Amino acid sequence: MNAAPAISASQFDGRNPADEHAPIRIAARELNFYYGQFHSLKNINLDFHDRQVTALIGPSGCGKSTLLRTFNRIYSLYPEQRAEGQVLLDGQNVLDANVDLNELRSRIGMVFQKPTPFPMSIYDNVAFGLRLYEKLPKSELDGRVESALRKAALWDEVKDKLKQSGMGLSGGQQQRLCIARTVAQSPEVILFDEPTSALDPISTGRIEELIEQLRSEFTIVIVTHNMQQAARISQFTAFMYLGEVIEVGPTNRIFMNPTVRQTQDYITGRFG
Amino acid sequence: MTALTEQIALTRSGTSTRSRKGPSKGLDALFRAASYGSALLVLVVLAGILGSILYGGWPAFREFGFGFLTSSAWNIGTEQYGALVAVTGTLASALLALVIGVPISLGIAIYLTQLCPGWARKPVGMTIELLAAVPSIIYGMWGLFIFAPFFARFVQMPVSNVVEGLPIVGTLLYARVPSGVGVLTAGIILAIMIVPFVASIARDMLDQIPTILRESAYGIGCTTWEVVRHVLLPQASVSIIGAIMLGLGRALGETMAVTFVVGNANRLSASVFDPGSTIASRIANEFNEADGLQLNSLMALGCILFAITFVVLIIARFLTRRVKVA
Repeated sequence: MNAAPAISASQFDGRNPADEHAPIRIAARELNFYYGQFHSLKNINLDFHDRQVTALIGPSGCGKSTLLRTFNRIYSLYPEQRAEGQVLLDGQNVLDANVDLNELRSRIGMVFQKPTPFPMSIYDNVAFGLRLYEKLPKSELDGRVESALRKAALWDEVKDKLKQSGMGLSGGQQQRLCIARTVAQSPEVILFDEPTSALDPISTGRIEELIEQLRSEFTIVIVTHNMQQAARISQFTAFMYLGEVIEVGPTNRIFMNPTVRQTQDYITGRFG
Repeated sequence: MTALTEQIALTRSGTSTRSRKGPSKGLDALFRAASYGSALLVLVVLAGILGSILYGGWPAFREFGFGFLTSSAWNIGTEQYGALVAVTGTLASALLALVIGVPISLGIAIYLTQLCPGWARKPVGMTIELLAAVPSIIYGMWGLFIFAPFFARFVQMPVSNVVEGLPIVGTLLYARVPSGVGVLTAGIILAIMIVPFVASIARDMLDQIPTILRESAYGIGCTTWEVVRHVLLPQASVSIIGAIMLGLGRALGETMAVTFVVGNANRLSASVFDPGSTIASRIANEFNEADGLQLNSLMALGCILFAITFVVLIIARFLTRRVKVA
């Protein structure tokens, strides 16, 4: 019940400011989502800028994960879930029935709440996704795996045990392995669904640094429960509540000068 | 009035606390002893069975020694007995059952966990489990009277005609007498019998895999086949092998259905179409009229079957347990 802002102005010092002129990579237009009868996303209109980190925040059940799951259509694994409206990736509606889901998911990667290494070696965890789409000679494959592991800040820790199982790594390392696996496919967008919720503070810090670095190459959308995290790593923030986008804008403005009362209440810890 | 009620209540609670301690202690001891005894009884019975078949089979082992395992003789007139035909038939029919039944079981488990629409999962799953409730004598009768003639006419005869004279397949798949019964027929019937077990355990194991792992596999753009082949099956592999071993254990010991369709011939043949014997069918067929060394030899066969199934079940338990903990 602390009325003082949870985030202070000093946290925004020396950080990359939001680039509001960056081109729009993903756009949701009149997007509605239903779990059976339950209407869980209501008329969402939201833009995600190229090579910026956009954080989706809001209380549990507000629809932020649901929104993320429409972008790569992972929800379509469940027949009772459906989306209406448009999600435009570079202007093309990914909700169209004729979209190739496998290709879409190689363009929009996803990292989940918990690390999910596949039951195979560290090397194969990364190479697996690559092999699905490209026939690469061994040497080139090695190079791509190494570069993905380097981008995921994991190479130095695993370079001597690439043949060992991915299950043997620590939680934080496993999550970075999952990031490497996603990065290896060179997607345009990476979706992070509360990627640090199962990790200790040190591992969380490393993942946050990593997301900061990945921004130079990828458009990033991150769902987080942790407002400090949203403030630390994102350029844009969207606050959602009960299936609607209440307020969206550059992160420092949302946190320092929210214009809507509900946003203010949420980020000052009055509810949620 | 109120005072009286209170007094009664007090007395009641007073006596009940006092009277509770004495007898309940004795009862508790009795209860412990009874459940301890029940558990012990299983071990006693198991040891008894093992002891008596070992005792009964010992004369045969002494008479023929190690040769009992390697001899294919089973001659009542000359009192020459060997386990080779029955052991081979047991292993061959059980392995054929696995070769046929396991892919079908995995297909069912994958369908039920990955592809089946939610409303159909319960009914389809239950139907498959119902297969396990069909008594084995029914499978045997159906196998002998309906399946075997059909199999002879539409599989054994045409296949034999095609492969006759060819190397390898000409031996493996040639029926000298296309009667419909034989080791392969037994394998097929056994396959139908183990499918419900293997399929339902494999389904449970696939269900235990966290949704998020499946979603991540789809999330990098895998097709359903790739998700199942490279992520879900390897993830559940150890416990699925355990499920297969349980099916194998059942196939090895199955008696009634096999006795009907295996042909009951004491002949070592390289063709899966030819009649043979399994340990269980041999015992079921001959036990009634056997005595002397023949009876001892049947007991010895029983020991061998016991040893084989015991080892298989232990491996199965070990594999399925290890995964549940992990």
